[in-house]
Amino acid sequence: MKITKFMNAVMMTAAITFGGGAVYAQQSGGSLVFLVQPEPPTMAGYVSTSGPIGLLGPKIYDGLFDYDNDGKMIPVLAESVDMSEDGKTVTFNLRKGVTWHDGEPFTSADVQFTIMDVLKKVHPRGPNSFKEVSSIDTPDAHTVVLNLDNPAPYMLRALSAYESPMVPKHLLEGEDIKSAKLANNPVGTGPFKFTEWKKGQYIRLDKNESYWKEGRPYIDRIVGRFIPDASTRASAMEKGEVLYAAYNAVSNVEAVRLNKEKDNISITTDGYSMINPMALIEFNTKEGPFTDAVVRRAISTAIDRQFMLDTIFFGYGNPATSALSSNFAATGLHAKMPHYPANGDVAAANKMLDDAGYKKDSDGVRMKAMFDLIPYGEDWKRGGQYIQQVLGEIGIQVELRYEDVPTWLKRIYHNYDFEMNLNYFYQLADPVLGVHRHYGTNMIRKGTHFVNSSRYSNAGLDALLGAGMKEPNAESRSAIYLEIQNILARDMPVVNLFELEFLTVYNTKLKGAYGSAMGAYSSFGDAYLEE
Amino acid sequence: MNRSNKILHYVARRLMQGIPIILAIVVMNFFLLNLAEGDAVDVLAGEAGSATPEYMEKMRAKFGLDQPLPVQLAVYLKNVVQLDLGYSFRHEMPVHELIFDRFGATLLLMTSTIIIAVGFGILLGLLAAVNLNTWKDALISVFALITYATPLFWVGLMMIIVFSIKNDWFPTSGMENSAAFYEGFDRVKDIAHHLVLPTITLSLFYLALYTRMMRASMLEQYGQDYVVTARAKGLSERRITFVHVLRNALLPVVTMAGVQVGALIGGSVIVESVFAWPGLGMLAFESLFARDLNLLLGIFLLSSVLVVAVNLVVDVIYCILDPRIEVN
Repeated sequence: MKITKFMNAVMMTAAITFGGGAVYAQQSGGSLVFLVQPEPPTMAGYVSTSGPIGLLGPKIYDGLFDYDNDGKMIPVLAESVDMSEDGKTVTFNLRKGVTWHDGEPFTSADVQFTIMDVLKKVHPRGPNSFKEVSSIDTPDAHTVVLNLDNPAPYMLRALSAYESPMVPKHLLEGEDIKSAKLANNPVGTGPFKFTEWKKGQYIRLDKNESYWKEGRPYIDRIVGRFIPDASTRASAMEKGEVLYAAYNAVSNVEAVRLNKEKDNISITTDGYSMINPMALIEFNTKEGPFTDAVVRRAISTAIDRQFMLDTIFFGYGNPATSALSSNFAATGLHAKMPHYPANGDVAAANKMLDDAGYKKDSDGVRMKAMFDLIPYGEDWKRGGQYIQQVLGEIGIQVELRYEDVPTWLKRIYHNYDFEMNLNYFYQLADPVLGVHRHYGTNMIRKGTHFVNSSRYSNAGLDALLGAGMKEPNAESRSAIYLEIQNILARDMPVVNLFELEFLTVYNTKLKGAYGSAMGAYSSFGDAYLEE
Repeated sequence: MNRSNKILHYVARRLMQGIPIILAIVVMNFFLLNLAEGDAVDVLAGEAGSATPEYMEKMRAKFGLDQPLPVQLAVYLKNVVQLDLGYSFRHEMPVHELIFDRFGATLLLMTSTIIIAVGFGILLGLLAAVNLNTWKDALISVFALITYATPLFWVGLMMIIVFSIKNDWFPTSGMENSAAFYEGFDRVKDIAHHLVLPTITLSLFYLALYTRMMRASMLEQYGQDYVVTARAKGLSERRITFVHVLRNALLPVVTMAGVQVGALIGGSVIVESVFAWPGLGMLAFESLFARDLNLLLGIFLLSSVLVVAVNLVVDVIYCILDPRIEVN
């Protein structure tokens, strides 16, 4: 072991000495094998935004734009975008000479069809993102004009290949879009073409030789491998059988270990800023022990967020300070709110409950409740155990319940048969896309998952959410969202815990895969392998 | 009626009896699986992040999940009788394609495991029995005890750490090299290379079982009168062991192997998961959590058919091993 490390050091020194000044050319060729966990049901990213589809879809389908790590738009299928003065007309100028993998030309008709007939109708989030689009004109094959009912500035944040993939009209028109053959035989304009799907093993994509971007992609083949066992995934990473693992496919504890022990393995938290995951507790505000906002505020006050992050998530993440993620600070949509102490304040929480008249009985218990946990793995169980302990200290005795995914979804979002629920939500690139669904009265939708399960309803807040959606001026918008955050910090239908930071573990011979804010949900067109 | 004719009749009759058994299993499975909360649409919509209630209703109608249970069952039974296992809406593929896609991998792992476990189990059991109460016997018994008592997933992970990471002898997981995509004979070699660790891991557990069973069975047979007779007429110990005792001692082991072939299909979830082996166990496991009932029922149907068939084969093997056993 020591000798290998020494040799590596010697080689590195040699490379620096002899290679000084030389420009390293991006090498073409090679296979990139990466982890996809779990195996996706289909590859229809235009119907489902589920994570594993997001890992593969954007390699096959392009979006109109991509976003760099500063949030700047990178032209992909659209070369430019113009917005009219009143914000109600948005014009995309499409790239010329782009073809689908089957050789058909990509035109404005495809964009029109994708937005109006696919994203607006069957995509889980599309109806929100493109809500204001009333019609689309296609004056010529490479110009697309969106006519909006109201200005929708957030729409421009939802044009990536993951969020809004462009799909071929000629293969979907007249079909039932949700069950079309395209789901398992994807045909896009992206840098990689679908070749083969061995169920239970891998999905193989090969280089698109006629990709519109000159000289791209560099890599000959991308293989998404499915390994169900978490320890085996870490072993495959350690051995170099797989080169890239995002969204905690390799657990934090293993990732930190590999980063320390192996010279050729690194970790990064980049590539998740458009996803913005937020860990939180949803409360049933209609029935049960948590109908009083004081209790919810006390719970938020008691929890030591930093402790949870440090002990359970290896310090990857930031304590929440408001209903909105601090990542929105860049657009002026975040402000620190009360009742969000990073280190928790049990005494203050106890006082809040005492003052509100919740008496402790002889066992020190004020109230009892059932606490449901998101069934997405061990970390969440441990999180639940910690919260159980802290709530005990403020006299709230909770019992933990951990069920399988379908049972849990049905309980929370269909039967509303819960009292408090540990969960996490993607806040996405703009509050309109990811946060409104959690609080709006119009988002109390029985049977729809990951919306307003608290059944919190506040006409004042609804009006503000509506205004925030349409306001094109950044300063006025910031003021609206400050008011929204104030209301949510007072009523707390949801207690936000912390902004999660997912880890991407990668082998250092993989280069150029980290330039997009979409991270693992990007195309990998610029990625290359350095042998 | 001569003997082979008799066996043929017996096989035909047993096959006829198997059909109602299998149908009963299907019906039972159907109701059991439908007891679970939530359905495939809940899972699909949940994974997608969000979906409108109208969309979910449409999906339920499309999958036939809006029908009352007895109607769903009738439709399913009708399809099964016509040898149509239905459609997996989750995978957007016919169930039989999904199953046969994975069946090869399961069969490969199962066959190699059975061969190694039964083969070495018989050998070790024989050795232990022949060398009763010597250090060899003790060593084999302790080995069997340890492998039987060690959890499979732990053995699997240790195998990976020792033989794949510390020593670069075998790949960690998967069925073939997904960076190289070998073809022809190279591919066969590659798959065999990937097969080694999962087979050893899974065999170790069953090996222990067969070793202990074989040892006990041998010892029992040694005590029988016919062994005394054989000794009295002057046969060598070697001949007594291999020709007389071994053959009789095999019967219970063969019975056990027959029962376990069926169990191995479902029982290898752990090994398939640790080694990312694309078998049926993992498929069943995943489809349970996805509430993909058509697929799950298809897998259960296949395993019940296999169990019925293997038991029949075992009964026929009995007749060959021991001519005294008559079929009727």
